[in-house]
Amino acid sequence: MVVVSVARDYVGRMLQDISGMKVLVLDSQTVSIVSVVYSQSELLQKEVFLVELLDSLSKEPMAHLKAIYFVRPTSENIQHLRRQLANPRFGEYHLFFSNILKTTQIQVLADSDEQEVVQQVQEFYADFCAIDPYHFTLNVKLNHIYMLPTVVEPHSSQIFCDRAVDGISALFLALKRRPVIRYQRTSDIAKRIAQEIAKLMYEHESGLFDFRRTEISPLLLIVDRRDDPVTPLLNQWTYQAMVHELLDIQDNKVDLRSVGKVPKDQQEVVLSSEQDAFFKANMYENFGDLGMNIKRMVDEFQQVSKSNQNIQTIEDMAKFVDNYPEYRKMHGNVSKHVTLVTEMSRIVEERKLMLVSQVEQELACNGGQVAAFEAVTNLLNDESVSDVDCLRLVMLYALRYEKESPVQLMQLFNKLASRSAKYKSGIVQFLLKQAGVDKRTGDLYGNRDLLSLARNMARGLKGVENVYTQHQPLLVQTMENITKGRLRDVDYPFVGNHFQQGRPSDVVIFIVGGTTFEEARAVAMNNAANTGTRFILGGPAILNSNRFLKDLEEAQRIARSSSGI
Amino acid sequence: MATRNRTPLYRKYRDALRNVRVTSPSSHHHGGASSSGSGGGPVIELVNASLLHSNRSYTPLSTEDPSNSSNRGAVTVGLPPAWVDISEEISANTQRIRSKMSELFKAHSQALMPSFGDGREHQHAVEVLTQEITDLLKISEKRLQKLSASGSSEDSNVKKNVQRSLATDLQKLSMELRKKQSAYLKRLRQQKEDGLDLEMNLNGSRSEQEYDDFDDIGFSDQNVSKLKKREAFTREREREIEQVVESVNDLAQIMKDLSVLVIDQGTIVDRIDYNIQNVSSSVEEGFKQLEKAERTQRKGGMVMCATVLVILCFVMLVLLILKTILF
Repeated sequence: MVVVSVARDYVGRMLQDISGMKVLVLDSQTVSIVSVVYSQSELLQKEVFLVELLDSLSKEPMAHLKAIYFVRPTSENIQHLRRQLANPRFGEYHLFFSNILKTTQIQVLADSDEQEVVQQVQEFYADFCAIDPYHFTLNVKLNHIYMLPTVVEPHSSQIFCDRAVDGISALFLALKRRPVIRYQRTSDIAKRIAQEIAKLMYEHESGLFDFRRTEISPLLLIVDRRDDPVTPLLNQWTYQAMVHELLDIQDNKVDLRSVGKVPKDQQEVVLSSEQDAFFKANMYENFGDLGMNIKRMVDEFQQVSKSNQNIQTIEDMAKFVDNYPEYRKMHGNVSKHVTLVTEMSRIVEERKLMLVSQVEQELACNGGQVAAFEAVTNLLNDESVSDVDCLRLVMLYALRYEKESPVQLMQLFNKLASRSAKYKSGIVQFLLKQAGVDKRTGDLYGNRDLLSLARNMARGLKGVENVYTQHQPLLVQTMENITKGRLRDVDYPFVGNHFQQGRPSDVVIFIVGGTTFEEARAVAMNNAANTGTRFILGGPAILNSNRFLKDLEEAQRIARSSSGI
Repeated sequence: MATRNRTPLYRKYRDALRNVRVTSPSSHHHGGASSSGSGGGPVIELVNASLLHSNRSYTPLSTEDPSNSSNRGAVTVGLPPAWVDISEEISANTQRIRSKMSELFKAHSQALMPSFGDGREHQHAVEVLTQEITDLLKISEKRLQKLSASGSSEDSNVKKNVQRSLATDLQKLSMELRKKQSAYLKRLRQQKEDGLDLEMNLNGSRSEQEYDDFDDIGFSDQNVSKLKKREAFTREREREIEQVVESVNDLAQIMKDLSVLVIDQGTIVDRIDYNIQNVSSSVEEGFKQLEKAERTQRKGGMVMCATVLVILCFVMLVLLILKTILF
């Protein structure tokens, strides 16, 4: 089962049984959840003629419409609902909640429903944003919370954990499975989330999670972003990841308004693997191959438009009109991808990303501290390399050679600080404190034991196909360990006394702190290769380097202000 | 895909709370309202139902408990807006088109089948049906244009969406019709060509025979009449083809008009969140404009008033001075 189709089925089931004209009322979170899996035209087919937000409803009475609410069961939403049920605007009310309702919440709603307009109250567990078939996000705004110890901001930290627990438990309800739970030992937040989920699934709502027992339970693994801080710092060269890195994808949408000189209908474009066949075929391709494929698509399009130009007979005309909608769709699609790729290659040119990325990949994948130091220094001296890229280079160097060359690291810090005053504040040191070698569980650089060292050497001898995409996220190793049953109990302990028997066939990996599209690609590749184990990846947010650095800065600011008091 | 139905629990709480409410004296007015509503309730419900629940059979005396339905009657006093009639009419039309279409396809296949008798009545049926469907499409399209947005913001949004969905339906239908029709046209042409070939062959061989039989008689009367018949037949076919082509063109026009309304799938316009954003931002924008207009209006009035007063003051002053000077 894939996450997109599960979420789609939920939405479809919500709408199909209620006949007549309908209005769909969503909250700020469920808007994204529904938008990524359902389209406006599909809603129209189901006779949903109005979509509104829960907190910005107008007062106009519309008794000829039936209201379908799909909201998260938060206390603010319940308050909104309470007020709206007391003065009903619509003919009927069908309430769907995306997660488990508390009994008190049901009581509050029943109390306000004096006119008895509510027809049904249901829990439909679509509480995650299904970006791709094997990749979901929870769209948490305050994602930096995971880096702070609980005592600093207990309230926000609780909210953060609750959202993670809600999202993960909803996913397992949607899949109708109860997993065994493992977490990364060194991460407090991963442990906390894992324990809260276990409590929910095996104690509080054990009846709800009691599904038909399968031979092997699926596995839920909760890991911490700080175990692999390298992946979100790298420049990306595969299509989806690259668009996210350079232009930012939000709920499968890209905002191009800042780019300038784009036609009006292309100011915001949709990049969805479900709706766009070309994107689906190329989302994991590297930039070079992508360029070739786009050229092929443009050529095809030119062929079609040429055949459309010479219309002479009535038959030609009839054929043209037949193909016109197809033609228009193709036209929109071609210009969308061409715009994206043009803009990205402009940025690559401008920021010298080819040069920068090469050094980044060297830092992430290969040893050779002296050469690396030289390369980073050279780029720091280069005026045309942007400040952010410099910061990332220093961070990558620091993560790798933290212990080996502290003196040279200090030199780089000073150089960075002299280049840009913004980075004086020791953000690299904060990163090391958060995700330094002492904090990490996994073998990020593959240099801890002899076996992986040898493997690395072998790879070095074999040579790499593409310098820019040689990096493999730590997640690949973790997945391999899981499929081979080699994930160590010491590093990734089980919660409670529910242990894994045999190899799991379904695994959900939740990265606290956010996923990246590079990892999503690795998961999709693994699933396509069909190793017998299927992975689903999720996290509270989808990171690019900007977002990761912003979270880091925010966490540093709060940590500093709290220690100051 | 697990779900959990919380309705029974909800009902339980609601009923319990209703009992509490009924016994408490403060809810007296509430009971009164529902009893006064029960008189008008069912009637209004009936009107509502005939307009809206077209695909759901309505039972005036439903099995729901009476207080419930009377309450709902009191709530749904507002009748649906008038444009609902138009949309109902259009969707009824699409239903009719759909049934006619299936008839037409049957007629197509019958008309194309080689038959011993005169295939003319089938062809006639095809013509009539095609004409009817095209007319229906045209009418529906005209009505659809009438649904154009006006009135309050929310209502106009609903209307716009209804319009879009109907337009999508109509477009799909007309596409389907055109595809079938061009297929029919193609087959018809093919038959015509085949027919001509066949006739030529027949003609050739038979005339040779005839020449053998009646050496120098030339065309017999029989032959001439046959030829005429054939000519008439070809002319008939020609006319049919022309007609079909005409209706294809009509459809093309309709398509063009509809395509403005139909949402392109897979584009940003087809995103739910984009549509919400747009609506809210346009509502905000409208509100701002309104505020601004009000402000400028008030300002304009005040300024005007002040200037008039100042001028009057001045005039009075002058008059006063004149008065003191002159008298």
